[in-house]
Amino acid sequence: MINNKKRRGKTERAETRKLWDENPVKIPLQKSRKRAVVLVTVILFCFAAIFLRLINLMVVDHDKLSQRAAQQYIKEKVLTPQRGVIWDRRMRELATNIETDSLFAVPTQIKDTRTLSSEIGPIIKVSTREIDGILSKKKKKAFAWLARRMDLDTSRKLSQLKERFNEGEIGFVKEPKRCYPKGEIASHILGFSNIDDHGIAGLELVYNDYLKGEVESVTVGVDAHGRSLARDIKEAMPGNNIILTIDEGLQYIVERELSAAMEQWHAKAVTAIMMDPMTGEILALANRPTYDPNYPAASGPEYKRNRAITDIYEPGSTMKSILACAALEEKVVSLRNMFDVSKGTITVGGKTIHDVHKHEILSFQEVIQKSSNVGAVKIGQRLGAEKYYKYIKKFGFGDKTGIDFPGEVKGIARNVKSWSGTSLAAMSIGQEIGMTPLQMLRAYSAIANGGSLMKPYILSDIISPSGKAIKKVVPVVERRVISRATSDKMKEILKTVVEEGGTAEQASIRGNLVAGKTGTAQIFDPKIGRYSREKFASSFVGFVPADNPRIALIVVVFEPKGATYGGVVAAPVFKNIIEHTFAYLDVPMEKDENRIVLVSTAE
Amino acid sequence: MIDRRILKGFDWSFLAAVVVLSLIGVMTIYSATRPMLETQQPSFYVRQLNWIMLSLVVFFLAVSIDYMWFIRSAYVLYIIGVLLLIIVLVAGRRGMGAQRWIDLGFLSFQPSEFFKIFIVLTLSRYLSRMRNGGRLGIKELSKILAGLFILPAVLILKQPDLGTMLMVLFIFASMILTYGIRKKILMTVLVIGLIATPFAGKFLWGGLKDYQKNRIIAFIDPQADPQGIGYHITQSKVSIGAGGFWGKGYTKGTQGPYRFLPEHHTDFIFSIFSEEWGFMGSFLLFVLYLFIIWKGFDTARNARDMEGTYLALGVTYMFTFYFIINIGMTVGLMPVVGIPLPLMSYGGTALLSNFLALSIIENVRIRRFASYY
Repeated sequence: MINNKKRRGKTERAETRKLWDENPVKIPLQKSRKRAVVLVTVILFCFAAIFLRLINLMVVDHDKLSQRAAQQYIKEKVLTPQRGVIWDRRMRELATNIETDSLFAVPTQIKDTRTLSSEIGPIIKVSTREIDGILSKKKKKAFAWLARRMDLDTSRKLSQLKERFNEGEIGFVKEPKRCYPKGEIASHILGFSNIDDHGIAGLELVYNDYLKGEVESVTVGVDAHGRSLARDIKEAMPGNNIILTIDEGLQYIVERELSAAMEQWHAKAVTAIMMDPMTGEILALANRPTYDPNYPAASGPEYKRNRAITDIYEPGSTMKSILACAALEEKVVSLRNMFDVSKGTITVGGKTIHDVHKHEILSFQEVIQKSSNVGAVKIGQRLGAEKYYKYIKKFGFGDKTGIDFPGEVKGIARNVKSWSGTSLAAMSIGQEIGMTPLQMLRAYSAIANGGSLMKPYILSDIISPSGKAIKKVVPVVERRVISRATSDKMKEILKTVVEEGGTAEQASIRGNLVAGKTGTAQIFDPKIGRYSREKFASSFVGFVPADNPRIALIVVVFEPKGATYGGVVAAPVFKNIIEHTFAYLDVPMEKDENRIVLVSTAE
Repeated sequence: MIDRRILKGFDWSFLAAVVVLSLIGVMTIYSATRPMLETQQPSFYVRQLNWIMLSLVVFFLAVSIDYMWFIRSAYVLYIIGVLLLIIVLVAGRRGMGAQRWIDLGFLSFQPSEFFKIFIVLTLSRYLSRMRNGGRLGIKELSKILAGLFILPAVLILKQPDLGTMLMVLFIFASMILTYGIRKKILMTVLVIGLIATPFAGKFLWGGLKDYQKNRIIAFIDPQADPQGIGYHITQSKVSIGAGGFWGKGYTKGTQGPYRFLPEHHTDFIFSIFSEEWGFMGSFLLFVLYLFIIWKGFDTARNARDMEGTYLALGVTYMFTFYFIINIGMTVGLMPVVGIPLPLMSYGGTALLSNFLALSIIENVRIRRFASYY
């Protein structure tokens, strides 16, 4: 171009000048200007109109329109996350999930509501009217649940029917359903979760925040054609898995023996807890009556009560061990001290306490072995209320154990100031004090492990879906309650309880030494305002092997019929559980031929 | 031709505004075409960037030539333009229900985009040389309309491209009105127009294609069929309204990438922009556009000669109409006509023709004092 110009530079310039000169009249321009002003005004008017419109859209109508924008691209989809698995200490599944079909409707797509409800209603067992109600309520919604987590049979029937409906009217979603493959086993520990996969009892409740997936419902971007935009879908994050201290094998043994005891004694309830006395780990925990967590609605609240930690009972003679610990630790007695119980009764504060069997003069050790009430009251008198109360509190009675379980109760251990004249005597034989079976087991575990009160726990580990450790629970020593010397002395005394002449010969087992104590307590009946003559709580609490305790176990039978004594009712249950436990754990027998003979006579 | 004084007079702020707006356009195209299903970002924004480079080169080249050369070549260019419009109809590439592109193999372009500039050139030449005391009579008017308007208008309408045809009409009308027209004629045209509309309405309505009818129905009542014909305008309003005062933030908009708003990177790019930048962003955008428009009128006022004045006015009118009609369409003040937003909408030919048109303003501007030829 420029070259071109240069070549013809002269003519070009002449031409340009000519063009310029041709038009010397400026008048039109003057007038054009005025008209241009008019046009500019029109343009400015247009700008103003656009501006007002923008304000209208972006400020006045903003909320409405932005809601509209969000509404059309965000579609809520319910992607139920997999709830975490609950394993026992050997990684056996106690709670897991199975895939089920859930049925939903797309109300905006449904043309004939009546046909739909009448066809589907009978299969999902929902009344036609109810379905109509759901659909009309969510008429403008693109999603409505009709039936969730259906069983295989129902979903099979429905999928056959589905082809009869128009594309997009109804649909299926896979949803995980909580499943407890072992049925009643460990039901009180596990608890259960509701239809929305929210834990509402037991560990399912306590660790719900860990077990539930991180996203229960997510929003998914949908484009104008209704396609989900994969990039924005957040997968439902499965929940964390948890490992319990429970051993399914031991749990099974305990559950089976409790069922047998329940049947044999026509009891109102039975509870047993097995614990590692050294660490406080709960190995097994069971109650009767029980329920199946797969069908929680089928059983009433009575069946779901975890009596091991929510029910208070008066322990009776098992409390005498606590008394003995206090007396030994405070050195108010020695093993050689003798107590005259020949009268068989003792009257304290106008109340007479009887012995079950008459004895002559008993040593301190024999008072416990034979469970002499008179002897215990005398020991209590020697110890004094203040000191006894101190040990009651030290052993953790009247305080929660802090176990990771909902609904634990404190129990009743009245302050020494409010004790009556008979309280010391009553408490020496385990009356006028209330506790949970777990509290008692923990106290005996302290005797077993050399004097340390442990914090009981059920949860061992929390593991993320990818296998990362989130939480690891380690044993916690609450406090030292008695010295090792006292503990050793108590072990020797408790061993004699299951020996010949003790109250619990029936708890002795072949090949291993058992240390334990029976308890038989009248149950206070609020209806008649005094202790019942028929209702008893019979218990046995102990640990094995006595000299090197690995297992502590308590069995409480509430209101047995036919027999009442702990040595008769609870001790055999204890024995059966421990024998099977040893077989299960492959524990070698300690050499003690004598005991074999004893057991055979006992049986 | 390239004089130092001319270089000195070069208005860099004008060019800066033009480039900034086209770069904002690239940014918005990027955001509007963000993929949601694929990971690959579509190359629209890269292609637009390439077109900006090319357009800049053309801008400088065009500025270096005295606009008088263009005025002199106006009739030749006009004839070339008309020929191209005929070629489009005979051998053009079809796309989106219209035959608007000429495919040269390595690139394709829309002749009608350039024809608008040729119209401005031709009218500027014609009007600046009229000497009849400042007002057009019926004779001159019919000469202009018959000689310059009817043929290209029919050709463009044939494609069909109603939007561009209307733009050509607006350019004619505004430039003729600026020149001046006898009041009698003006009044007659207005009165005939008012009286004839109801009678001709039926005829005109019947002449419209279905999609054009729908656009007008949708404009009058967007809620008549929000999922159908009203969809486009409804979605555009939703996008703009969702932006609010401060906007959702760059690449935070949902209307474009989620494909709720069709033509999000071309005709409706302003909706995407305002969703992300809000009222404040739109305000600043308007300031940039107004700046260019103001420069255009200022250039016209200070032009060296009548040719310069008419050229600057014609280009500015064209630019302004495009802007107002596009924005008016996106905010629902005007029916949807396929008019892109100058400088910002995706489209190579349109961008190049805009740069070329604006280069004329710069051209006139730098030579406003150069009366020494």
